[in-house]
Amino acid sequence: MANTDTDLLGSRLTEQERELLNVYEALKKLASQDDLPPCAARNVRRALMSMWQATNDLDLQFEQLYEFGV
Amino acid sequence: MPYTEYWNPKNETLPREQLQALQLRKLRRLCEWAYATTPFHQRKFDTVGFKPEQLKTLDDLRRIPIMTREEWMESLQEKPLFGDMLATDPNNAIRYHLTSGTTGRTPIRVLDGMKDWDWISEMWCYGLWGFGVRPEDIVYFAFGYGSFIGFWGAHYACEKIGSLVIPGGAQTTEARIMQIIEMGVTTVCSTPTYALHLWQKAKERGIDLAKESNVNKVILSGEPAGSIPAVKHQLEEAWGAKCGDTAGMTEIGTIMIFECSHQPGGTHIIEDHFIEEVLNPVNDGPAGYEELGERVVTSFGRGFIPLIRYRTKDMVMKVPASACSCGRTWDLYSGGIRGRWDDMKLIRGTNVYPRAVEAIIREYAAIDEFQIYIWRKEEVQDEITIKLEIKPGHEAEWVVLQQKLAKDLANAHEGLRFNIERVEYGVLPHFELKAKRLVDVRPVVQY
Repeated sequence: MANTDTDLLGSRLTEQERELLNVYEALKKLASQDDLPPCAARNVRRALMSMWQATNDLDLQFEQLYEFGV
Repeated sequence: MPYTEYWNPKNETLPREQLQALQLRKLRRLCEWAYATTPFHQRKFDTVGFKPEQLKTLDDLRRIPIMTREEWMESLQEKPLFGDMLATDPNNAIRYHLTSGTTGRTPIRVLDGMKDWDWISEMWCYGLWGFGVRPEDIVYFAFGYGSFIGFWGAHYACEKIGSLVIPGGAQTTEARIMQIIEMGVTTVCSTPTYALHLWQKAKERGIDLAKESNVNKVILSGEPAGSIPAVKHQLEEAWGAKCGDTAGMTEIGTIMIFECSHQPGGTHIIEDHFIEEVLNPVNDGPAGYEELGERVVTSFGRGFIPLIRYRTKDMVMKVPASACSCGRTWDLYSGGIRGRWDDMKLIRGTNVYPRAVEAIIREYAAIDEFQIYIWRKEEVQDEITIKLEIKPGHEAEWVVLQQKLAKDLANAHEGLRFNIERVEYGVLPHFELKAKRLVDVRPVVQY
């Protein structure tokens, strides 16, 4: 779950933005697991890569993901 | 639900005060990341005593030292293959591309991680959507798909948008024309020069693309001509389609400016992902709106190779967002990229530095004098010819030399074809001081 109430500009998250951020955080959590089968591990990373774009475009986060190999 | 005009309505219409606050926040994080992870940036920041926490306002950006292509090249040469600019382990990369170097054979090599590579297509989405590309479109890429980054990002952007993508790849011009007509293509992505070449070849075969194709949009990139009114008018007449300019660079991996569907005679800067400064090329002071200056870019995208205040040598003129009626709050470059402040030449989308060409030619002891001759074939296609004189007594080497030199030059320039022409000894001017071996006879661009 997202642990912030605001975006990078300090504006309150809308319900939609919160849902997007929650999905992004859930994918990060999954990507940090090292016992996923390849079919899950690699596709989780692809999904995380895509969610990074959506949440970054909407100013919800600005961070790097190389620790997850993304 | 009808489509919105913007790819990202939130940021494309963000009030400028908030846009600048967002840029400052991202800039500080980018500098923290670069300082913590790359020896290149640590060294540069330490040299002037800059610390990321000194960034209190966007004006503090000027505390950061400007980064040059020459510094990048030095870093590559001192620590092959990627210099000391990588912010993470190369094993995290999924993609490799290169662009021709400033000197000799060493190219600038870039790596992208998974999210960086997807970000590259994301920037193209801003531009393509902004010009009107939609899921219903059938998009044709007149592009060779090599290690030159070119339209790679645009290809994936169209897939992301949901359009049907047709990769032109290694086909003849004639085959490409037939495919564009047969498949009902609505959008063509091409350099301006090649878009004219396609039209001309079609005309030679009795095909009127404006009438016989469904193309209604031509997305241009790789050359400044996409924003030159005369060229654009010619292309729009030829194709019976709207032509939109975009511009990018391998160093950032993608486009940073695009022309929107309102066609304001300029290109919007993607300001939530880039800071584009325009500096006076003489004193590095900021140039105001409507003043010609040099582009200096900071990119918030590729974290693998952080690019902060990178001097591009591109000649631009910034105008306020109000110059366009589209409602975006993003400033524009009137006339797109207008030219260069250095001697770099753009030939069919590939950067050519005369110094680098000379360094390769000078490896051939049999060559005495040479000239780099840039010209336009049949009024549409830019060509580069190396005219050279063989030293007396070395004439027998010519045939092998011609093939080998063409190959060496192509290898150092993303596969660009160089014509190699021998002239009689004594025909070319010989210099003792300030040699002028570059002759560019292409028509001068008019804005």
